[in-house]
Amino acid sequence: MLELQGVYCNIGKHEVLHGVSLEMEQGELVCMLGANGAGKSTLFRTISGLLRPTQGSITFEGEVISRIRPDAIVRKGISLCPEGRKLFPRLSVKKNLMMGAYSRYREKEEVAAALREVYELFPILEERGEQEAGTLSGGEQQMLAIGRALMSQPRLLLLDEPSLGLAPLVVTRIMETIVDINRRGITIMLSEQNASMALSISTRGYVLENGSIVLEGSAEELAGNEEVKKAYIGA
Amino acid sequence: MSFFLNQVVIGIQLGSQYVMVALGLTLIFGILDISHFAHGHLYMLGAYLLYILTALAKVNYWLALPLCMIALALGGVIVERLVYRPLRDQPHINTFIAAIGLFLFLETLVRAVKPRAVSVSKPIDKTLSFAGFTIEVQRLIVIAGAVALVVLLHLFIKRTRMGTAIEAVAQDREGAALVGINVNRISMLTFAIATALAAAAAVLMAPLAFISPEMGSVLILKAFVIVVLGGLGSMQGAIVGGYLLGILEALAIAYVSSAYKDVFAFAVLILILAIRPTGLFKGRD
Ligand SMILES: Nc1ncnc2c1ncn2[C@@H]1O[C@H](COP(=O)(O)OP(=O)(O)O)[C@@H](O)[C@H]1O
Ligand SMILES: [Mg+2]
Repeated sequence: MLELQGVYCNIGKHEVLHGVSLEMEQGELVCMLGANGAGKSTLFRTISGLLRPTQGSITFEGEVISRIRPDAIVRKGISLCPEGRKLFPRLSVKKNLMMGAYSRYREKEEVAAALREVYELFPILEERGEQEAGTLSGGEQQMLAIGRALMSQPRLLLLDEPSLGLAPLVVTRIMETIVDINRRGITIMLSEQNASMALSISTRGYVLENGSIVLEGSAEELAGNEEVKKAYIGA
Repeated sequence: MSFFLNQVVIGIQLGSQYVMVALGLTLIFGILDISHFAHGHLYMLGAYLLYILTALAKVNYWLALPLCMIALALGGVIVERLVYRPLRDQPHINTFIAAIGLFLFLETLVRAVKPRAVSVSKPIDKTLSFAGFTIEVQRLIVIAGAVALVVLLHLFIKRTRMGTAIEAVAQDREGAALVGINVNRISMLTFAIATALAAAAAVLMAPLAFISPEMGSVLILKAFVIVVLGGLGSMQGAIVGGYLLGILEALAIAYVSSAYKDVFAFAVLILILAIRPTGLFKGRD
């Protein structure tokens, strides 16, 4: 479904990704592990078109997407729930969600169905519908960010550190929902610093270090790997 | 008392042009983070276009109004595309220099073609007097026109998908791109709306004053102060600030001296800023 071949990417003059290659199948839940500064966000931003690769190609469902704008990539079926959430703080929760379906506004019924589904996943968002997004708690904002990313009805959802800065209980709740979303048929790539939690819900994973993929394998393999244990699980 | 109220009404009329110009400026600031210093000069172009259409080509004033708005909307799009977009990822100082350059270019160009001030006639040349009030009809037209346009703009931004997209881009540009909004297109739309508003202000105001190459300079200064006073990027702030400045000016003219109107008005604005440095309303974070 998604294939990256030797993707290089610069931020300014500084090369951050040094030839990343990876592949994802339809329906998978894959995690991208890596310490702070490893390049996870840069990788996700490159896939979603916010950054242009300097070399290499990104293919989604057989089509090369490495040269198109982020708004066009959303229409192709990839949605990024970014680090830092990037919500619209002074728009209501409902308007934030409706903006998530910006390019699908003609499909009224499908958008209404998507909204119902998001409310089903996160009932609190319906309750808070008229409230400004900026007034939500951190956990609620993360739910809104995920909900907004789902409103475009993506086939591939990229989640960049959704657990960042949240209380453990909220993190558990969000991880459960991610599994639920994946069961509904959406392919997911999840970036995390907390390896044990990410591996517990993923089928497969990659380890990113200094902008290169240094390890890949099934969740069990990675969870049993001594280096992973030392670096990311803190055993 | 009725003299005072009469001055307040005149102040609201003066404020109407400030509101229309400052709203455009604050919208553009919200979207692109730039101080579009040439905005007042596009207003000036709007006034000259009105002069060309009505005084030279004998087009009806009421037809000239939408024509000027459409022409200047296009002008705004061109400015965004040719001057500001190429500088999007450059340091702010570059955009600032570009804005000043455009400002000087437009003013010099117009002065070269038509050095002396011109004027246009009023579509309804009447003065109403009732209950102690004396007011020219054109002033009432300015007030009504501004209210109508501000209400339309408000409805557009709050009730339509494109309008909400303008707010979304202003609040989080990257978040907006990620939900599928074409940020460049929204920038162009914002420039079109802002410049059309400035053109409307110019057309409504022109019959009450002279049209000159410098008319944009003082106006943009005032609009800029209003935008800072109201809270950068805040529409409410631009509206309240614009009317406030207009009323202060009219009262200064009536009770102090017309020579000192700007001094008085700016002094009050500086005072307000000293007390509330972030402006009256919350704009951007
Ligand atoms: N805006 C930026 N300017 C310069 N360097 C950056 C910027 N953003 C990220 N980097 C650098 O790119 C590298 C990867 O960052 P990032 O993709 O954010 O990593 P992660 O998401 O894994 O924490 C880091 O070394 C960081 O210093
Ligand atoms: Mg990151």
